[in-house]
Amino acid sequence: MPQVLTANRLKIGEVVYWGGRGWVPRFDEAEIFSGAEAETALKGAADWVLKGEVVAPYLFDVHIDGGHAVPVKVREVIRAAGPTVRTDLGKQAG
Amino acid sequence: MYRYDEFDAQFVHERAEQFRGQVARRIAGELTEDEFKPLRLMNGLYLQLHSYMLRIAIPYGTLSARQLRKLGEIARKYDHSYGHFTTRQNLQLHWSQLPQVPDMLLDLAKVEMHCIQTSGNSVRNISADPFAGAAAGEIEDPRILSEILRQWSTLHPEFSFLPRKFKICVIASDEDRAALLIHDIAVKVVRNESGEIGYRVYVGGGLGRTPYLAQEIGPFVPKADILAFCEAVLRVYNEAGRRDNIHKARIKILVHQIGLEEMRRRVEAEFAEIKKTGTLALPAEEIARIAAYFAPPAFETLPAECPEFEVAKRKNRGFADWVKTNVHPHKIPGYAIATISLKPIGKTPGDCSSDQMEALADIMDAFGQTEIRVTHEQNLVLPHMRISDLFALWQKLVPLDLATANHGLVTDIIACPGLDYCDLANARSIPIAQAIAKRFSDLDRQHDLGELKIKISGCINACGHHHVGHIGILGVDRKGVENYQILLGGSGAEDASLAEIMGPGFDTEGIVDAVENVIGTYTKMRKSGERFLDTYRRIGPAPFKERLYAR
Repeated sequence: MPQVLTANRLKIGEVVYWGGRGWVPRFDEAEIFSGAEAETALKGAADWVLKGEVVAPYLFDVHIDGGHAVPVKVREVIRAAGPTVRTDLGKQAG
Repeated sequence: MYRYDEFDAQFVHERAEQFRGQVARRIAGELTEDEFKPLRLMNGLYLQLHSYMLRIAIPYGTLSARQLRKLGEIARKYDHSYGHFTTRQNLQLHWSQLPQVPDMLLDLAKVEMHCIQTSGNSVRNISADPFAGAAAGEIEDPRILSEILRQWSTLHPEFSFLPRKFKICVIASDEDRAALLIHDIAVKVVRNESGEIGYRVYVGGGLGRTPYLAQEIGPFVPKADILAFCEAVLRVYNEAGRRDNIHKARIKILVHQIGLEEMRRRVEAEFAEIKKTGTLALPAEEIARIAAYFAPPAFETLPAECPEFEVAKRKNRGFADWVKTNVHPHKIPGYAIATISLKPIGKTPGDCSSDQMEALADIMDAFGQTEIRVTHEQNLVLPHMRISDLFALWQKLVPLDLATANHGLVTDIIACPGLDYCDLANARSIPIAQAIAKRFSDLDRQHDLGELKIKISGCINACGHHHVGHIGILGVDRKGVENYQILLGGSGAEDASLAEIMGPGFDTEGIVDAVENVIGTYTKMRKSGERFLDTYRRIGPAPFKERLYAR
């Protein structure tokens, strides 16, 4: 199953995704890994952790729907947007 | 209430500055996340889904107007202008930023507050009856012992690295408004046959994946010996509690594994040893010194009846409805206890905005209320209101959306933050609470259903107390989709019991129908005057299951 690499920024705790050349705040800018390169990317994230950019990196599963990646778990849908009960907060607030 | 002495004040201030240094070292890369995480947790700082969450201790759920105003100010200055009152009588700010946390701690220190021991394997915030000092029938203010235990357990050198977290609760009435028996140590202030006041101690309660109610281990511990007794319990637990498996590390598992009798034998042996040294004997003067901090306010001599109050109720249906559920008898004639519901229909249970906190602080000043209490049911309480002031209070609460007349009713739902915020959660809790509240919003229907406690947790850790809900709801992850199990027959009150799971779970829409279905069984089967819980206990789970899973 395709995967996306995510973490939180060390200082502000914001959810970020690996975008290919750096960490990006939006899920739709995330790089989609379709094979073993996902694990390689996760190992690479350790450097960013050491540098103090991000914390707690991990991979999560997505499926491709109409050419777009969609997180398999609700957890990642909520992380990508913000609390469903406060749509004025988080990334969904714009 | 308790006031810091110069040592308390200096310590809390220095602790904030110490954390500033730790944060700076973390940001500079001198500390790894593994090294830093225990340090931030020691200051109540968690990394959650969207941001850092700061958990602020509210000892025994008591706040002054000055403290409440400051919490509102801190939430506005550093966060998104709201906080979330929890089932442990604490406040959580969900959008904290690491570099600002030391300043948040310093601002908290200005009003004698902190986040120490709100996380980690330590003795957590001591909880107590939110009606302390006001309830009719109370033996003495349970916060006197709570404060003594708070001082004893704060930075206790022997108990700073327990096998797992440890929660203590104190009540002093036969009515249990603090979910006493779900705590690791539960203390009830009692009077023995000769009229002496002492403590009945229970041990080994807790929820989570293995729920147990605490069992009596000390039927009557004299006042002077309570610290020695608690020290004995903690020492036995610290030595024998499992450390190899986080899920089996709470004292409830130890009590269950060795049995209550063996636990009692070990605690009594340790208790005898500690008593020999005499170092933990609590002098009457020290108890009196702490008790003075909780001296009742200067109550006026007032008539028990208040004609203006009766007139206001007759003329105003909304006020009468609010009084019916949210006002409770006070021990002093002419006074009443007012519960401020943080459960407006369709809103997040326990959330309170900065504007509301500051307005409430002003209201406290206007009505001479020196304290407000946080309840484990995620509401607030003004404990010493003059009955003659209740109508004016209600009029001020209405425009603030703080006058919802639902205390103890079906819409007064406990819900943990769930998957909307929490890193541990498997499913959302808040939207389920909101949907149920909307479904049952009709107040006449709520009154017809009577006392009905719904409690919702978004994972097995049970912060939403689903095991002790009349109706408990547990959110789980089923193949990536939120699914909700329903449990019935629990109680966190003086008639405590653990709820039983009914069967397969429901999806997000189905769970609201399932609750309605269960309530339908109750209304069909109830006898006159029976609460939901009474009917369930009389007829058992079968009729509920049958209707719930009928094809």
